Amino acid sequence: MLSATTIIQKIPLFGGMFSVDRSTGLEEINSWPALMILTSFIWLAVAGLLGVAMPLVQLLGINTNLFYMSLTAHGAALAFPFVFQLMIGVGLHRLGSCVGKPITGPIPALIYIFMNLGAALLTVAILMGLNISLVTMFPLPVVGVMTGQWSMNALIIGFSGIALVLITMIVLYPVQVIRMSFFEERREDLLLSERSLKDPGMLGMVLSALVLLVAGIPLLIVASAILGALYGIIPMAAIGWATKPVVFQFVFFIFAHNLMEAMALMVISAVYATLPLYLADGTRKLYSDKLANLALWILLLTSVTSFLHHFITLFPNMPAYMAYHGNIMSFGTGVGAALSIFTILATVWKHGLRMAPGLAAILVGFVLYILDGASAVVTSNVAWAYQLHGTMWQSGHTMTVLVSMSLMWMGVLYHHYPVITGREIDEKLGNLFVKFCSVGVIGAALVMLAGGSAGMPRRFADWGQGGWMGYGNLILIFGLIIGIAYIIYAMSLIKSRNLPAATNY
Amino acid sequence: MLDFLYLNGWGAFVMVLLMAVPFAVVFTYVIHKKTVVDQGPAATLPDKISQIEIGWIALVLVVFVGVNLYSISYMPTARTANALASGQDIQQVDLTARSWSYEISNRTVKAGTPVRFSGKSADTMHGFAIYHPDGDVLFTMMLMPGLEGSTSIIHTFDEPGIYTIRCLEYCGLAHHAMRDQLTVVQNDG
Repeated sequence: MLSATTIIQKIPLFGGMFSVDRSTGLEEINSWPALMILTSFIWLAVAGLLGVAMPLVQLLGINTNLFYMSLTAHGAALAFPFVFQLMIGVGLHRLGSCVGKPITGPIPALIYIFMNLGAALLTVAILMGLNISLVTMFPLPVVGVMTGQWSMNALIIGFSGIALVLITMIVLYPVQVIRMSFFEERREDLLLSERSLKDPGMLGMVLSALVLLVAGIPLLIVASAILGALYGIIPMAAIGWATKPVVFQFVFFIFAHNLMEAMALMVISAVYATLPLYLADGTRKLYSDKLANLALWILLLTSVTSFLHHFITLFPNMPAYMAYHGNIMSFGTGVGAALSIFTILATVWKHGLRMAPGLAAILVGFVLYILDGASAVVTSNVAWAYQLHGTMWQSGHTMTVLVSMSLMWMGVLYHHYPVITGREIDEKLGNLFVKFCSVGVIGAALVMLAGGSAGMPRRFADWGQGGWMGYGNLILIFGLIIGIAYIIYAMSLIKSRNLPAATNY
Repeated sequence: MLDFLYLNGWGAFVMVLLMAVPFAVVFTYVIHKKTVVDQGPAATLPDKISQIEIGWIALVLVVFVGVNLYSISYMPTARTANALASGQDIQQVDLTARSWSYEISNRTVKAGTPVRFSGKSADTMHGFAIYHPDGDVLFTMMLMPGLEGSTSIIHTFDEPGIYTIRCLEYCGLAHHAMRDQLTVVQNDG
């Protein structure tokens, strides 16, 4: 635990933003989360540069391989070591302070090491030429070796990295959440805001851990078999079942789709927990805990099988009734979202609101999440899927869901920042961050959806081919605005001030 | 109107705006009103809020059910079933995708007569998307290697012209170069 604090102090620039307050006796719920959050922002800086590189490569007409390299590295850095690690860091800190349990021992250390080592290995493999896109597109990694697009060494290093990341998300993180939620002795000195599983602010966190564990196990089995064969531990002939594209694709999307839904469960849960703390009349209660919990359960139950919408255009290899099922379940998640919208607005209407940068980021993130939800359900409809699948629409959806969730987490982090560091953020810069981020993300989302409507393909190195470069230029402009927003966010932490000595958490 | 909504990518864009803009307006109004105009607790009666709750959920259900019901007749899967049931002549186009080209049995088809596209992949995941000469995607198919059956859809072209075929599933370093053409001619019969 103490080593995490020490590591933070030794990291230039970022270390100063997240140095843990040692005076409060809360180091055991702050240190590992702070190190994870800090590292996630380093990955964000990497992902941001790569994100801007994509349209630049196209505008300047540089080698198309560089586009696919940026695309793969940008997606991998953004989704896992940035968004997911940020979520783990803030989430574990929240959980520790709600149940009064320390975040210490080997599991948090393994979470940190496996996530970052895995992401680093994957990045090395991508630099070696393993340009397989964020979603792996199996059997492309193997076909790429056979056709000389990249080497077997790159494939083995990349798959080793992916395996470490998967172990973190599917096993280590859920085990840590379950351990803290149901086992270990509670320590009153670490308990800052007690919550039970009946509380929507806790329920989503536990549900999301269970979803990751259950939905991820099939992928972990298949990936382990393939990796075992690549290492030469298991004969290739024995894993034919695992290398069938249909097997890999289905277990991949059962996990990948539910990963996004689990992250949504967790962040909505964090919103439910944070919003009441800013109510003007000091009530500290949601409009209805039951309605909030119902929204989480609907989201959970409908999302499990809605992953089938990824295969609508495989008809009749995937029968039409399964496509319709994926279609209907996707709209079912929209019903859960509608309940969340009502709960949030009714709470605000009933009790009034004290605005703060953290809450503003959470609310803007929620608006973007709903906008993204609309684009997601529309593209899950069988009729529209046939025109939109594989277009920039899907990239817009992925980008928006990741950025909206990270924006909500960054807002939640603003709220918890004083507890972790003993300092308060620069509010002026915090508000400026929310404004820039809103403009950048809404603009980028609409342009990418519009590009998809115009037939602009995703993961495609020649936007000039169909006259889509205009969309590319706008994506670059809004991407730069998002980049400026993140720099302002970093500045708001760098310029943070010490809290008054008598602050009571 | 419904043809535009369901048979065009821009129709999907309009649908997103129809869902998202009213939400964004109401959300912004409530937040502004309760943070800037009047921060105090609302005097709205609990019964009134419950009525709004029921009305909101009913509205969402009606919109969601309506959007999906109306879409059924526009689903390519349903249109394929209808074409098969109608007993019309169907033109057959078989295709095999491999990195980074297509083998296509017939690159010229007639407008107004249904065409069944049946595709397979010989190596990795590929797509088979047909673009109208004006740039709109008419439909796309996912071609997954290793499957016994073909991915298949029946489509009837309304107009003659040169249609572009593109792969919409990322398939490696020359993915963007994987394209072909289909010629649709006037049906003289």
